[in-house]
Amino acid sequence: MKLRAPFRTAVVALIWAWMLLFVFLPNLLVIVASFLVRDDVHFVRPEASLESYARLLDPVYAGVFLDSLGMAVTTTLVCLLIGYPFAYAVSRLPARVKPLLIFLVILPFWTNSLVRTYAMKLLLATNGLTNQALLGLGIVDAPLRMLYTEGAVIAGLVYVLLPFMILPLYAVFEQLREDLLEVSSDLGAERWRTFRYVVLPLTMPGVLAGCLLVLIPAVGMFYVADVLGGARHLLIGNVIKNQFLDARDWPFGAAASILLTLAMALLLYAYYLSARMVRRRSADDALA
Amino acid sequence: MKLLRTALRVWLLGLCATAATAADKVLYVYNWSEYMPEAVLEQFEDETGIEVVYATFDSNEAMYAKLRLVDDKNSYDVAVPSTYYVSKMRREGLLAPIDKSRLKNFKYLDTKLVNQPFDPDNQYSVPYLWGSTGIAVNTDTVKPDALSKWADLWKPEFKDRLMMTNDMREVFHVGLRVLGYSGNDTDAAHLEAAYEKLKDLMPNVRVFNSEAPRMPYLEGETDAGMIWNGEAYVAQEENAAIVYIYPEEGVALWMDNLVIPKTARNVDNAHLFIDFLLRPEIGRLISEEIGYASPNAEAVTLLDEEVRSNRTVYPIDADLKNAEFQTDVGDAITVYEKYWELLKAGRD
Repeated sequence: MKLRAPFRTAVVALIWAWMLLFVFLPNLLVIVASFLVRDDVHFVRPEASLESYARLLDPVYAGVFLDSLGMAVTTTLVCLLIGYPFAYAVSRLPARVKPLLIFLVILPFWTNSLVRTYAMKLLLATNGLTNQALLGLGIVDAPLRMLYTEGAVIAGLVYVLLPFMILPLYAVFEQLREDLLEVSSDLGAERWRTFRYVVLPLTMPGVLAGCLLVLIPAVGMFYVADVLGGARHLLIGNVIKNQFLDARDWPFGAAASILLTLAMALLLYAYYLSARMVRRRSADDALA
Repeated sequence: MKLLRTALRVWLLGLCATAATAADKVLYVYNWSEYMPEAVLEQFEDETGIEVVYATFDSNEAMYAKLRLVDDKNSYDVAVPSTYYVSKMRREGLLAPIDKSRLKNFKYLDTKLVNQPFDPDNQYSVPYLWGSTGIAVNTDTVKPDALSKWADLWKPEFKDRLMMTNDMREVFHVGLRVLGYSGNDTDAAHLEAAYEKLKDLMPNVRVFNSEAPRMPYLEGETDAGMIWNGEAYVAQEENAAIVYIYPEEGVALWMDNLVIPKTARNVDNAHLFIDFLLRPEIGRLISEEIGYASPNAEAVTLLDEEVRSNRTVYPIDADLKNAEFQTDVGDAITVYEKYWELLKAGRD
């Protein structure tokens, strides 16, 4: 379909204006702030300095950063382990139940994720529903301590982010042609080989996209660590939030935020490279 | 036709509602979470026809940052900083003076709690509630004699069982007092020592909470640790096993005060509201419901005997031995911030 020129111009202009106003300018402010000096009255003093970046080199922050990344990677792997078989199973179901199941995956988005995180608290608390059920069934003698642990934070992150893994995977499984699997089996490949050499390469783009969609927000979701981790597991998102809200050290918060953005940009670049590699390999395979 | 009439009526009602909430009939209040009974706000709205828009914060720092950021159009008319933030905000010109000639109930305040160094002659602030930060213990799971001083929190038996408030100054008060320093110390070396001391406490800390510090005790997550006396009072009503202890090294005392930010949109309504809160009857209601001590001497005389004699809310002199009022630490606050961050980022 060809759009009429004035309409197209309007749409493009709107998107550009939007990006300029709400993405480019705020980021520019953050970049500028990160090179300034902290001021107690006006938040920042217009005085060039690299002090904030120097502070980031403190091994304590390297620890926080690695910890956050580790937590996000664990979250991503768990999401993948749950999401991959789930997406596969749903894509093989009769066409009339599929929309319903995908709708159920999307349904939690109707409730704010912060509210859902608080709901998790009710489930995990020592006097909470899970423990009451386990005690009632006689499975445990003393309530399990689940809340305010690293495991609780990861469970919260997985719960909030799982749909972002399932949806791209579902999309690739939907396109996976059944006859390719049949061909593979006809040619004598057992199930594992079919999976390894046919299914996995073909669904790789979905795996990569899903991982990225989970990993990036997982690093920044400070409220999950606050609510379920008991404000004790300081993640990089918490550091940034604390600098802006509590300590009022905007330059340092801005510098930390830029470091995070750069790390994410690096990840996106890695994604781009691996996606290209996947594409090229499948093109090669097609030729071979 | 009936439908049309109903629609018209709804529309007219909406119009009236909009008119009633015109700019001069609104009051924007910014208070600590769970710090004012709903009934008090409703009574004020009923009596004056002023609609109260109520927002909450959970730390002085967050409140301060927000007030710094908002412009005249989005500001609050009444805020409730602690004493040490009153002096800071006053010094920085963030507060509007309070016209005491418009507060006919000011006279009821306890003379011991007005005209304090943080705001001489109460030019910018009016005491709202005062209280202390001490120790809470769940006597179902911990023998109460195991805890009589802050230093007891370091005992290994409390591993992963403590609750601390998510408040930099209060947590450092504990570290400083255990080392024998003042909770308002500004010496960087002392603060570093307190940080090192608190680092040893971290394995015992299960959660930091300043939104509702009683909850981890009621949820059964923590068995001992810090709490505000009012939160302990409310927790006791739900679970009598939760007991408030005045530690030997001394509690941190604080007082929260009603102020009018310089950017306030409606100074008249703010004065009306403050005067309303100073009524002895209202002061009594707040103290009984929220569980903190009222600075209003007249309100205290009206209190239910059970509350007035409750040492958790109204401590006797012996409880306040070694107690310290929190004061402004000036520039040293950045040293506190640095070690607070390191404490929370610590990974060992």
